[in-house]
Amino acid sequence: MAGIPLAFAAMLQIKDLHKRYDEVVALDGATFEVQPGRMLGFLGPNGAGKTTAMRTIFGLVTPDAGEVLWNGAQVTTDDRTRFGYMPEQRGLYPKMKAHDQLVYLGRIHGLDKATAGTAATKWLETLGLEERSADPVERLSHGNQQRVQLAAALVHDPELMVLDEPFSGLDPIGADTMADVLRRESAAGKAVVFSSHQLDLVEDLCDDVAIINRGKIVLAGRVKQLKDAAPIRRLELEMDGPSGLVLSHLDGIRSADMVDGRHVLMIEADTDVRKVLAEAESAGTVRHFIYSTPSLTDLFREAVA
Amino acid sequence: MSGFKGVWLVAARELRERGRSKAYLISSVFTIVLLLGAIFVPALIGGDSTTHEIGLVGEGGQELVAAAAELAEQRAEGEPAEQFETHVFDSVEEAESALNEGTIDVAVVDGTELLTRGAGFFGGSSADSRLQESAATVRIQDLVVENAEAAEVLNLLASEPLEVRILGDASEEEQAIRGAIAFGGLILMYMAVLTYGTWMLSGVTEEKTNRVVEVLLSTLKPWQIFAGKLVGIGLLGVGQMAALIVIALVALRLNDSIDLPALPLDSVVALIGWFILGFLLYATLFGAAGSLVSRMEDAQNAAAPLSILAVIGYLFSFTALGDPGGPVAVVGTFIPFTAPYVAPIRLAFGEIGGWEMALSVLVTIATIVLMVRLAGRVYSGGLLRFGSRVKWSEAFRTGA
Repeated sequence: MAGIPLAFAAMLQIKDLHKRYDEVVALDGATFEVQPGRMLGFLGPNGAGKTTAMRTIFGLVTPDAGEVLWNGAQVTTDDRTRFGYMPEQRGLYPKMKAHDQLVYLGRIHGLDKATAGTAATKWLETLGLEERSADPVERLSHGNQQRVQLAAALVHDPELMVLDEPFSGLDPIGADTMADVLRRESAAGKAVVFSSHQLDLVEDLCDDVAIINRGKIVLAGRVKQLKDAAPIRRLELEMDGPSGLVLSHLDGIRSADMVDGRHVLMIEADTDVRKVLAEAESAGTVRHFIYSTPSLTDLFREAVA
Repeated sequence: MSGFKGVWLVAARELRERGRSKAYLISSVFTIVLLLGAIFVPALIGGDSTTHEIGLVGEGGQELVAAAAELAEQRAEGEPAEQFETHVFDSVEEAESALNEGTIDVAVVDGTELLTRGAGFFGGSSADSRLQESAATVRIQDLVVENAEAAEVLNLLASEPLEVRILGDASEEEQAIRGAIAFGGLILMYMAVLTYGTWMLSGVTEEKTNRVVEVLLSTLKPWQIFAGKLVGIGLLGVGQMAALIVIALVALRLNDSIDLPALPLDSVVALIGWFILGFLLYATLFGAAGSLVSRMEDAQNAAAPLSILAVIGYLFSFTALGDPGGPVAVVGTFIPFTAPYVAPIRLAFGEIGGWEMALSVLVTIATIVLMVRLAGRVYSGGLLRFGSRVKWSEAFRTGA
């Protein structure tokens, strides 16, 4: 990518997308970036505009306003042959053999027959499906169909991967395989973005997140920086003694919860917690005390509240 | 990816996957079996021996019939041979009226002339060819006895030894052949429109049902998918139809029960041309209908208006078959949805003027172009709308 100014190194840029379906506003100025080698978790409640935004990248949805840039220029049909897409609703030909299917999808992404054949074989092997390559997809288990779907998004060795809910419906083993593959592809310098509701998984995998709510990006950036910069902190307390009384002296409580006899609070970042700890210790025995930056789930709740 | 490369990839997948699918193979085999049955079964049921009724006028005929019977005996190889019955007439006129009434198949006059009614497409008689054969044999034997030159023998072999006179209007035979072609063509056209239209319909809906269309659309344009499907299914359809026609012709020859007419070339070419136009016109619309629904159960409903249109066109054409020069036929020539049925019929009967044909083709092609644009827009508007059935107008409005 020599010659491309640093400003464009953000490979995929989504700029100010607007889309309205009659009464429903699906996108309302959504803006974010996907950078090579930095996996992006694309988060948001149901109906927030994730799928619409992802479809816009592939020209499946024409935005009312805004643009999608690839390396600084408007995305072209040609660019899209180097994108890999895993739609939310999985789609494969049920009666077509797994290998044939991957070859076909490789070819419509511009691979020649031989290259597509080799790549299909390679991916089926990588995903442990080499024995099933001559089976029609409908005869594979749900998990194995998901693997073929992943291979379908990868077979043409795309520079950008966009996956809509790739982890939904996977068992833990399947999820591990998926995570491994994504990690590897990202480490190889690809731009990877996926949407998910499994926030702990996202926290584990992603360097960056973008949270969308009602068609707008409400929070975006590096996970660690977002946590540090967040205006809230997480406080967990378990003690023998009048914990309620202790906490009632605490200022700046955003939310309070009780999980397995343990208080979980979101508090203002500038709240002085040492006072709470001191009070708790004087009032009883502290069994558990954690003060930390918020988890991704906490950030998510805060952002979409 | 260039536009046509994408179209070809889609078409090639369609050819490969559909072509080797059980449904395609079974439907092909089934139709072929049905066809062969229609050709061979009547001959099998019709008894193991054929009786030719031969009229004789004057001298010399008896000898030819005897020779024909002998040849038939040799040919039969143990099977019951063809029988020859003779009826003697005092005059040529009497023989002619017997021919017209159908009591005899042919008549031999003075051992030199053959009177026939002219073979229609159905129920033509092979008696005349049997007699020509025997006449040739008899003459060759005579020549051998006379020790004639080889050149004379060859000359004889190359010609028909008996002079043939066909009774009545000479063009009747050709009319019958043309009528048969028109009728066969009409049925083929109707089958093709409904069968391949339905393939297009279910092919499009299937991709929506299993959602693969979203992956395809991420790199292919809607028109590429649509055109690829049309080409792939069209080729499979042409292949199936061509196989049917070839097998039917070969079977007719083998069976020998019907004198295979020399097909008027203009009719055949026009039939193929109209077959393609008819397929494009209807399949385009069926494909658009398929894009409106997400489930196979809904597909037939969405296509119901089109099926009705196809059936109306078909029924309409029967009027044209009965009266190819009549007002209904003339009007039908210029309605794009009936033209693929009606125009070949009128051509087969020679009842269509050059300008009428040109205008009919033009109207149909213009409609196809219009329909392709309309269908393409409906298709692109309908493709990504899942769930309940999308309205035509709605899909058209949102399509690109």
